[in-house]
Amino acid sequence: MLAARDGEEAIDLPADIQRELRELESRGDRITHYELLSVGADADGGAIRRAYLERSKRIHPDAWYRKEVGEFGPLLTKWFQRLAAAYQVLSDEETRLVYDREHKGELSASDRAAVDKRELSRAEGERRQRERRDRLLHTKGFARIGAARKLYEEALAHVQNYERSQAIECLKAARELDPNRKEIVSKLVELEREQARARAKSALASGKEREDKKLWAQAITAYHAAFQLDPKNGAAAAGAARCFLWQDDAQAASTWATRALELDPADLDSRLVLAEAFIALKMKARARTELNNILSKDPEQAEAKALLKGL
Amino acid sequence: MGELVIGIDLGTTNSVVATVQGGVPTVIPNRSGYRITPSVVAMARNGKRLVGALARRQAVTNAERTVVAVKRLMGRRWSSKALRDTVARMPYTIVQGPHEDVRIVLGEQQYSPPEISAMVLTELRLDAEAYFGAPVSKAVITCPAYFNDSQRNATKDAGRIAGLDVIRIINEPTSAALAYGFGKAQSEKQVAVFDLGGGTFDFTVLHMFKGVFEVEATGGDSLLGGEDFDSRIIDWLAEPFLKAHGVDLRTDKMALQRLRDAAEKAKCELSAVTSVEINLPFISATQKTGPLHLQATLTREQLEKLTDDLVQRCLKVCEQVLGEAKVHAGALGEVLLVGGQTRMPRIQTAVKSLFGRDPSKAVNPDEAVALGAAIQGAMLLHEEQEMLLLDVTPHSLGIAIAGGFFQKIIPKNTTVPTSAHHVFTTVKDDQPSAKITVLQGESDIATDNELLGEFMLTGLRPAARGTVDIDVIFDISADGIVSVSALDVQTGARQSITVTASSGLTEDEIKKATRANEDWMLGQKEDPKFQDRKARAEELFKEFEAIWPRLTRAAQDGLGQEPLQRAQAALSVARLQVAQKESEGLAASIDRLERMLGALKGALERGLKEEGR
Repeated sequence: MLAARDGEEAIDLPADIQRELRELESRGDRITHYELLSVGADADGGAIRRAYLERSKRIHPDAWYRKEVGEFGPLLTKWFQRLAAAYQVLSDEETRLVYDREHKGELSASDRAAVDKRELSRAEGERRQRERRDRLLHTKGFARIGAARKLYEEALAHVQNYERSQAIECLKAARELDPNRKEIVSKLVELEREQARARAKSALASGKEREDKKLWAQAITAYHAAFQLDPKNGAAAAGAARCFLWQDDAQAASTWATRALELDPADLDSRLVLAEAFIALKMKARARTELNNILSKDPEQAEAKALLKGL
Repeated sequence: MGELVIGIDLGTTNSVVATVQGGVPTVIPNRSGYRITPSVVAMARNGKRLVGALARRQAVTNAERTVVAVKRLMGRRWSSKALRDTVARMPYTIVQGPHEDVRIVLGEQQYSPPEISAMVLTELRLDAEAYFGAPVSKAVITCPAYFNDSQRNATKDAGRIAGLDVIRIINEPTSAALAYGFGKAQSEKQVAVFDLGGGTFDFTVLHMFKGVFEVEATGGDSLLGGEDFDSRIIDWLAEPFLKAHGVDLRTDKMALQRLRDAAEKAKCELSAVTSVEINLPFISATQKTGPLHLQATLTREQLEKLTDDLVQRCLKVCEQVLGEAKVHAGALGEVLLVGGQTRMPRIQTAVKSLFGRDPSKAVNPDEAVALGAAIQGAMLLHEEQEMLLLDVTPHSLGIAIAGGFFQKIIPKNTTVPTSAHHVFTTVKDDQPSAKITVLQGESDIATDNELLGEFMLTGLRPAARGTVDIDVIFDISADGIVSVSALDVQTGARQSITVTASSGLTEDEIKKATRANEDWMLGQKEDPKFQDRKARAEELFKEFEAIWPRLTRAAQDGLGQEPLQRAQAALSVARLQVAQKESEGLAASIDRLERMLGALKGALERGLKEEGR
């Protein structure tokens, strides 16, 4: 028993996995998503997924379930979770784009070049695709129906490969060729909605990140973008309201807090922001109304109580 | 060959146990020789515990003491709405338990759902031990993908009570996909599994690549299954009867059990034929009219009309999951059908029209889930299996926040194991404790989601409000089971957490039930008379086997088939009694077999003499 505690229990995790985990540990947070997945930054959706599955086979705790892994157990779990999170980000076109943009400085020189190249080749690919679509758009007569079908199928293939924006372009052309096909329109609407949501989500996330770093102006820009993309996103409006309040722009804070409350009347945090904005604007009666409203729903709200007392 | 491990499909209506032997996944037949064991537990009038086919057979005459479909009660709260509807339809009595949970009244005693499930599991474990001739303790048990944390915990508790070391709980559709993908490890493919079992519906999309099975999205309905199809038939039979005779058959426990049996039988037959007769004589009686009979003809078309909304509910789930997995229905490489209810032709055509392809026939809908569980067991414990399963959490996990809202912390379809943090800040000066309510579900309204538990963060450091930050860590294990821990951000001290509300059994209750189950198993083994009788019966089996070739020859030479058939019947009865440890019955069988053996031997000798003459 004592011997085991002295670290003498036989760890039978293969030496190369042990080495790999130690190396990951030593790099900690400085490792990029691409390095973690062992792919170049030029990898496409399919390659990223295959890499994720291959890497899982090495560092998923279940792969070594029957082995004595000792101190490596928690490391396997930790790094598998990091791997899964990295895959999550890189497997969606939008979130990957945001990641590339925001972490460009951390990427290795070759990966940075690959990101640039991918950007270029995407632009190039898109240009070629666009030309092809334009040609198809000139199809005449009944052949238009066939061309639309072809584009529709291409769009589905793009969806499979996580190329949503390409898919959307294909569907737009297909709709022009054959406006009566229901599935084309419905898929297009679905993808566009998904795209807006994904963009709003990453804008919201980067808003939060900046807010945490107290970069109010930048956070406001991001929240504003998130709100534009998804006008039902109360969290974006609430975030903007908070940041404006920090910036001492009570007028703007009250506008955004009102918007957030229109979307979600039960958002007590935004109501508190609104009350504080009213106080700053010397609109005491309205502030009092808001604070009473908060306390009627949550009588324990200490800040609301304190503010009300101050009034 | 590594350690023995079994995979168990613990179903609503039936259960199956399997293992991987010599690299081949195999179903283990039970001690009566069947590959499927009904998930039915009964307490006979003499106080004996009956499980499986024996329990099922006596269900009509002992409806109140026969527990069916206990899976629908697993991990449910007494107050949940879903439970109400289930309780009304069960022939046995369900009462409120001590922790807001449910208890089943069986004879003098009350049992929790995990205890009843443990009885089925014990039976399967004994079947496996008889098969291996060695003790088995390690098991992988399946549960519907859509099961939440408390249902999974209840399943795990059932395994523990049955004396099993449950190394993993895995999702049924994933398990079926493992059975399908076994041996096809190198190909890359996207498959969907449509799993409509006795009580639950699951739909899962997976991606297979080089032995890794990655679940992309999963969804379902934990209260939609074959039983609901049966219920529609029961209502269709009972309502006209109520109108005509003023008697509601559904309130009479024995009549209800007969209706259930008849409905299930009719449903199964309608998968093959287009119309069936349902005949239930003497189903009820009134003072005025005397005995009442029920007779009806149900057509396949009628059944499809009665259950159309159930089929539509399944299809809606499919579409939603396909959307979450970002897959187009037509783009899937294969669609697997799992669960007995998928035999219904209407389901097959619905699946075909949704996916634009014929569903795969590569897996057996009844056995695939257990086989997959056995494969997962082998994957974890045996060196030679180079496969890996990446499953996801089927529900979003989060906490209740001010205003009665639900804040998601881990979104659904996140690969497990996973963890997430959330920082809580004190809102009062010197606040000593804080309550965290953990929920699972998709609704923005906290109370619409399933409550997993309430945790108290206690002994907080006294400080001004807003200055104590507690980092709460939520972990979801590979079993899909949630655990919570907390850390004081400023001091790094581990914060203590107490569970103040949970629907599960306490540790003491599980230990007590485990002991009771062990005692029961010992009791089964301890009847010394039975051991003697079993030995004698086995001798007799051997003697019959030894003379059997001569008997078959004698049968052709004038002895006739009849005595052989009688002997065969008596032998199979005795074998069953050995398996079910029916000591008294076995004694009678031994007498009969001895007499038969004497007579047959005599006949053979006479035959020899005649030949010699």
